[in-house]
Amino acid sequence: MKTLTVDAVRDALRAVMDPEIPTASILDLGILHDVRLTGDRIEIDLLPTFAGCPALDLIREDVEEAARALAPDTDVVVRFINDPPWTTDRLNQEASAALKAYGISSPLLQIGRAQQITCPYCGSDQTVEESAFGPTPCRTIRYCNSCRNPFEGFKTKR
Amino acid sequence: MSDPRASLLFALADDELIMGHRLSEWTGWVPYIEEDLALSSIAQDEIAHARMLLDILSVIDGRDPDALALGRAPSEYRNAILCELPNTDFAFTLARHWLYDHADDVRLRSLQESSFKELREAVAVMLLEERYHLEHADAWFRRLADCPVEARHRFGEALAAAMGPAEALFEPLDDESAIVSAGIAPAYTEELHDEWRARIGGMLDEVGFDQVLASRAEPATGEMVPTSSGEIEASGEAEARTPSVGAGGRRGEHSEHFEPLWLEMTALYRAHPGARW
Repeated sequence: MKTLTVDAVRDALRAVMDPEIPTASILDLGILHDVRLTGDRIEIDLLPTFAGCPALDLIREDVEEAARALAPDTDVVVRFINDPPWTTDRLNQEASAALKAYGISSPLLQIGRAQQITCPYCGSDQTVEESAFGPTPCRTIRYCNSCRNPFEGFKTKR
Repeated sequence: MSDPRASLLFALADDELIMGHRLSEWTGWVPYIEEDLALSSIAQDEIAHARMLLDILSVIDGRDPDALALGRAPSEYRNAILCELPNTDFAFTLARHWLYDHADDVRLRSLQESSFKELREAVAVMLLEERYHLEHADAWFRRLADCPVEARHRFGEALAAAMGPAEALFEPLDDESAIVSAGIAPAYTEELHDEWRARIGGMLDEVGFDQVLASRAEPATGEMVPTSSGEIEASGEAEARTPSVGAGGRRGEHSEHFEPLWLEMTALYRAHPGARW
């Protein structure tokens, strides 16, 4: 029988997508914080992006299901924790591409990475924020002055 | 003897819950879509913050978070009366939003140093989200204060009407000395009250609304009575620890506006006990 490893669990969880951004994995979004194997139990700590995100319960269920599929005879305990707080600095490089594929621009990231919020359609950095509040807690509404399209941006949280 | 942590959590959670409920009443009614989304999103955040706090309280209190949010009698809620006042109009909604969110920011920043680990962690998350509420409130504050006559006038009136009940956000909590001596809250509400007044006082001065803050409410004085709306009257008995008009919420003494709100907010919970989505 194959030995269960933390890496195997993380790989399995890579397939769990954000229900509201189906191109983005919870690993790329930095929602997965920690995986521990303790005896015959898999413990998984997740970080909520925004406290009011209605997808949190769905994400928890999807994570439980993915972990159980990997190790059917193992107890799986999934919980959301507040420490450390989730910030947009947890997004990895893959997340930018995944967001863009869904028409959402990346947030301002940490120093040395993207400093301009670019339009997901035409790539222009001539964009402005129309409203900090979009269709979900993690998104803003922006407007591109180059191609004149409104678009959604991932909200910077840090 | 009740746990002093519970006293603080009930006040914090109930303010957020009731503010969130009131703001959610705007959903679908705001004059334009971006602002409708903004007030609805802020409502969603506030209710989510209430849930975070009630999750923590649940461990101390024993009741589950839903029962704490929706299963208590009206007199068991500890929100400030400011939060339960009707939205009235857009001016009052924004005036209250500005006064409340600055008060919330002052107390949350103080609670970053709380000795209560779970609360400290929740506060760190809340502050990252409240930042956007504060920016929204400040943007409207500057915009309306800069407006020509009518909007500026109505906003000034609304600020004056909300000011008394906003001061009562800083009514002392039950067990306050126990809360502070244990470091659960690092500061007395009176100190936070002074900090808040200094902060909003500076901003009000800048836009020529200094009369809003002109008089510091003293016990049992009527100076903070609103200029126009009859809806902002004190419901509790004036007494030494009652700092202003619109006080009493921290003792569970609410205005006549609370019960209709409570009936609507808890209707589903009461009609279908134990219902799950």
